[in-house]
Amino acid sequence: MKYAMLVYTDQSGWDSYSEEEATQLRAESMPRWNALFEEMARVDPDAMGRELASASEAKVVRVVDGETLVTDGPFAETKELIGGFFLTELPDLDEAIRLATIAPAAEYGTLEIRPLATR
Amino acid sequence: MEYLALVYGNPETWDSLSDEERAASYEGYMAVARDATAAGALVDASELESTGTATSVRVRGGEALVSDGPYAEVKESLGGYYLFSCDTLEDAVEWAAKIPAAWHGGAIEVRPVHAGEEAAS
Repeated sequence: MKYAMLVYTDQSGWDSYSEEEATQLRAESMPRWNALFEEMARVDPDAMGRELASASEAKVVRVVDGETLVTDGPFAETKELIGGFFLTELPDLDEAIRLATIAPAAEYGTLEIRPLATR
Repeated sequence: MEYLALVYGNPETWDSLSDEERAASYEGYMAVARDATAAGALVDASELESTGTATSVRVRGGEALVSDGPYAEVKESLGGYYLFSCDTLEDAVEWAAKIPAAWHGGAIEVRPVHAGEEAAS
């Protein structure tokens, strides 16, 4: 089964850090993220993941009466927002949950696991 | 440069469509994937199963908390994504505007992928 793992975190904290502070914090958490990447690659060599730029850079696109309307995002009005995602092929949901708990963001945010639709 | 287009739509709107309308809409989603692939602008795309299949995972105080359901119960939920590879944000917005949900009361959120980060790719 293929799963998407959506990483939700409160990004307002990040926006208050200076570039230097943010770089240092990222460097501190990298070894633990790397542990997740390694474990995920071991389970599914084709796993992929991406970290998104700040939600303050998000644009929301709608088309009304044939006209494209672009507004500043993000779309969701929740405190935590998607900051990154993984796509993996895993034997079952339990394995997805196990991997999710390894993510540092599970401690300060939420990982949402969603199966990919098959048609 | 990669841009993630998150497709937000109202599942009730989708359920209210006739079979023909649904087939036409689905073909619209496929067409975006096909055209973007032909243009060398598509990295990946998938539809997600409904939020009813979601599982949320948190770790607090060293303990894993697992709950059924999505992170947030919202009217317009994340139903899929396209990962585009484009020169500019404007190009990504142009692709996003072709996605059927943008036309049918939903919205597409376009997010640049963090530069230089292709974690676990």
